[in-house]
Amino acid sequence: MPTDPKALAYFAAGIGAGLTIMGGAAGIGRLAASAMEGIARQPNAAGDIRGAMIVAAGLIEGVTFFSLIVTILLAIK
Amino acid sequence: MSAGLALLIAAQEGVHDPGGTPAEGVAAAHGEVQGPAEVLMHHVLDQPFFGLPSKHLAFFVIAGLVVILLARLALRSYDARRRPKGLGSVVEVFVVFVRDEIALANIGHDGRKFVPLLCSFFFFILAAALLGLLPFSATSTGNIAVTLGLASVSFLAQQYAGISKYGAFGHLHNLVPPGLPAWLLPIMIPVEILSMFTKPFALMVRLFANMLAGHMVITALLLLIPLMATINTAFGILIAPVSIGLALFIMLLELLVALIQAYIFTLLTAIFIGMYAHPAH
Repeated sequence: MPTDPKALAYFAAGIGAGLTIMGGAAGIGRLAASAMEGIARQPNAAGDIRGAMIVAAGLIEGVTFFSLIVTILLAIK
Repeated sequence: MSAGLALLIAAQEGVHDPGGTPAEGVAAAHGEVQGPAEVLMHHVLDQPFFGLPSKHLAFFVIAGLVVILLARLALRSYDARRRPKGLGSVVEVFVVFVRDEIALANIGHDGRKFVPLLCSFFFFILAAALLGLLPFSATSTGNIAVTLGLASVSFLAQQYAGISKYGAFGHLHNLVPPGLPAWLLPIMIPVEILSMFTKPFALMVRLFANMLAGHMVITALLLLIPLMATINTAFGILIAPVSIGLALFIMLLELLVALIQAYIFTLLTAIFIGMYAHPAH
């Protein structure tokens, strides 16, 4: 079967974007769930927990964006 | 907006001239979509601007001027008894937030000397992102060269924090945690030197990708209109309110992202400065 390398690149970009979002969503979802639990147990510490949560979410998001940029490069090359 | 609209309509008329079967129309359309696509791509790509080679550069300078003007006007609104009013009291809220919640909380007692730098980061990133939401504008932080510059300044500040406190040799010595077994040193030293550079690199990519992503989604949503219109003009008209509504929603989300990214960049810079200024913990 003759395959166009460009088609394969689009294919890879689509699958990669999906996998990236699955990973990022799992990470941030777990983080938010734990933070909610923490705030429910200790409402006094809500401010601290929220700050730490935003930092951790930013770090997870940063890694996610690395991978998304790779998929974008696959698609537009 | 009207110029973009005119180009869009012109491109659509060009598409509809050939006619033919729907399948042929779509196939021909893919070549012609270049017109509106190029117009809408101003959300994402850099382009010439009023004779200047780069629109991002122009809006980079404008964002800087906006920040300087904001600071000057805020300073002027303080009365004789050092009470702010109007604009000054709004800016003061953010400055106090950056000082107390970001600088002092993460760098510690010697964090005060980094407050001007952190405030500059915060207000510049916020101004650049918010300027990018105005019509006919561009987000200068959506260009990786701009975020590279910001991250370089952040990198220099981190190294300055360590070197000014412990000297160049002491700073490098502090990179390795105390009490480490000697056989781990060949692994730890390269890893620590690498992490010195990956921290600002991550700052660079995070800000760039965040600013680009929102505008990319807006572009994709708006591109649906010409794409549907190449199949049938009625489809284009029907999809237009949906696309514009969703794009508007993403733009509202961008307001939130602008604030969060300004906060995260400033906060992470402060945390990294704190790591080099107080290496023991």
